[in-house]
Amino acid sequence: MSRKLTKQSTILLVISGILLSSSIFFPWWGMKFIAPQYPEGLNIIVYPYKMQGEIEIINGLNHYIGMKPFSEESFPELKYLPYIIGGMSLLIFLTAILRSKKLLLILILLFTVGGLLGLYDIHRWLVDFGTDLDPSAPIELDPFVPPILGENRIANFITHSYFSYGSFLIGITFVLMVFSLWRVRKK
Amino acid sequence: MKKIVTAISGVVIGFLLATVFFADFTDIGPKSVADSNEKSNSEKVYVPFGEKDEYYLFASGGHSGQMFIYGVPSMRHIRTVPVFSQDSATGYGWDKETKEMLGGYTWGDLHHPAFSETDGDYDGKYMFATDVGNSRAAVMNLETFTVKDIISIPNTSGPHCAMFVTENTEYMFLPTRFAVPIGHKYEPLDDYSEKYRGVMSAVTFDEKNEKLGIAYQIALPPWSYDLSDAGKKMSKDWAVITTYNTEEATTNLEINASQADRDFILLFNWKEIEKMVENGQYDEVEGQKMIFPEKHKGAMYLIPVAKSPHGVDVTPDGTRFIASGKLAPAMTVFSFEKAFKAIENKEFAGERNGIPILNYESVMEREANPENALGPLHTQFDDEGMAYTTMFISSEIVKWDPNTGETLDRVPVQYSPGHSVAAEGDTVSPDGKYIVALNKIAKDSFLSVGPSHPESMQLIDLSQEKMEVIQTAPVNPEPHYAQMIKADKINTITVYPKDEANPNAVYSLEDTRIERKGNEVHAYGIAMRSKFVFDVNTERPDVIEVNEGDKVTIHLTNIDLDQDITHGFAINGYDLNIEIQPGQTNTVEFVADKAGTFPVYCTNFCSALHQEMTGYLLVKPKN
Ligand SMILES: [Cu+2]
Repeated sequence: MSRKLTKQSTILLVISGILLSSSIFFPWWGMKFIAPQYPEGLNIIVYPYKMQGEIEIINGLNHYIGMKPFSEESFPELKYLPYIIGGMSLLIFLTAILRSKKLLLILILLFTVGGLLGLYDIHRWLVDFGTDLDPSAPIELDPFVPPILGENRIANFITHSYFSYGSFLIGITFVLMVFSLWRVRKK
Repeated sequence: MKKIVTAISGVVIGFLLATVFFADFTDIGPKSVADSNEKSNSEKVYVPFGEKDEYYLFASGGHSGQMFIYGVPSMRHIRTVPVFSQDSATGYGWDKETKEMLGGYTWGDLHHPAFSETDGDYDGKYMFATDVGNSRAAVMNLETFTVKDIISIPNTSGPHCAMFVTENTEYMFLPTRFAVPIGHKYEPLDDYSEKYRGVMSAVTFDEKNEKLGIAYQIALPPWSYDLSDAGKKMSKDWAVITTYNTEEATTNLEINASQADRDFILLFNWKEIEKMVENGQYDEVEGQKMIFPEKHKGAMYLIPVAKSPHGVDVTPDGTRFIASGKLAPAMTVFSFEKAFKAIENKEFAGERNGIPILNYESVMEREANPENALGPLHTQFDDEGMAYTTMFISSEIVKWDPNTGETLDRVPVQYSPGHSVAAEGDTVSPDGKYIVALNKIAKDSFLSVGPSHPESMQLIDLSQEKMEVIQTAPVNPEPHYAQMIKADKINTITVYPKDEANPNAVYSLEDTRIERKGNEVHAYGIAMRSKFVFDVNTERPDVIEVNEGDKVTIHLTNIDLDQDITHGFAINGYDLNIEIQPGQTNTVEFVADKAGTFPVYCTNFCSALHQEMTGYLLVKPKN
């Protein structure tokens, strides 16, 4: 059994590195709020480095229930997340160049931990925004935590949380990495 | 290769089987339900919720000074746009900009809306209108349905037959209904023929700055000018206007202006006049470049027409113009080509007030005289060039063929139609489909509202062989004239874009402030769901405190950049009320000449907490 990665696995790794780095430019996660007055829905779309959507309108509505306003400034992650992803991609490329199986194993572990941390981070913010409500707000609401994935109801809004293209690319990256390790194992 | 072939044939066979077993062939052949011939009238005008009308109808509001916007075919009233009158529903006439535009007038008599045109077709960018009451012209932007500029027209009185827009919106011509001395000076009516003039203005529109202007004026004879139309295609450099009171009567016009057997159509070449102005062939009068037809010859001609004519309309192909004799019950078809030839050959039958008269016979092509049709006023056209003329006295619309003069169809309306408007019916390419009769009387048609009856508009279906009235809508006074435009030609905005360059705009709470300069107070505030913030750094950010006699300017920006969230701002007891659209900055200016406590509040329902969107204006009394 060779300690080096096969040619095929190396190619797969290069592809996964490209996919991972390009995920920076795609939305990762989003929420859509739908209400009778907003049948077209209001959006929060999160990229690794920015937020998009009808943020100002959502903030304007959130003040009724005393939710803190969202802005890119309120999420420090957006400043360093692209570098982390960029760094990870470089590590993948390095692994491909060295064709090191051991490094790949470490990378996969790192990836798993990072992914879980990312999910925890989103959850932490959802808890923070949904439970730390201004007690003097005009409409009093029980604290709530929207799910990371799926539907929820807040006042007159139905929220849909979903993962988007960026996270799909990461998923594929992860699968490719595991697959290239598995290919090597088989031999 | 073999694999691919197998795969493809598999898919094809599967598809075929699916078609054979599951396809529904029952909808092949004539569909009875969707056939428009079998639709009831209510189905023809019913626009289900969620769908939108096919046309916008812009109807002049006459002496309401407003423009009414309807959807066709539903005939639903969508909006009233104030143009020449104050309107407290929209705060029009109290904010600084609209107050200045209205120039101290509180009403107007809005006539003859006209769309801006490109190549003789509506381009959906602007709408123009004139004010017969106070001699003004206005332009409305069709992205926001708001008036952008109003100008007063000097030397003229009551531009009734305008606006009429030339093929590429080069000019809007505004002839006068009432002859007056130039500069509105006092002159005895005994000197009417010498001292009075029926001045026509060539109004221009600067699209970049959204400003109207006057290029020049023409001191026409002291007659009344009634209706007009600009040429199209081969006649695009020309325009026609009907006149009455060529008798130059000065009293009891009902009798005295109906004496002459013939009045005139004024035919003029605006390209030639433009050249004259370029060459300095004009007089400088009252600050205007004034052209006197008796001095500056070669661009204006008179054509005799049956007495007291009303409408004159150019056919879509631009080859003819049709005049209707209000008192002489016939429509006359004139030929531009014949007129041009007569002008070229100088075939004149004398002169009137220094303007050459063309021979009636050498310009006229035919007269159309539908039996017992009385009081022909205006003509509109369909996609096949057929003419539709409203009959004021016999209360009907008559369809006829300008090529033969033959009457094709007639439909009664209730009652007394003045103008009518066909779908894009005065452009180079009318749509056919619909015509709307604008009726002056609605006697017995609706629930009574006392002695004053509503007026009415009736929608007539032109898509079938016989014309048919399919909808009737009561309307506010007075539907004078209207234009109908295909809905997809209009592209509105829903929210004003942020204008960071506007020094009066404030988009963030931190920038709100109240500044005092001597006895002037300037507030730069925000309206947002559901509060006013005039100065965020004070104990009560929703309060403005001034001294009696201060000049107060309040700039408000609606920072709800959200569709349909309009805020109002009224000062209770101070006769002030303005509106601020999403993203817009608006300004109100007033002298705080009443001491006391005056609540301020949002007039336009904006949210669940709209009722709480209030504050105070405190005016401290002088000692
Ligand atoms: Cu409000």
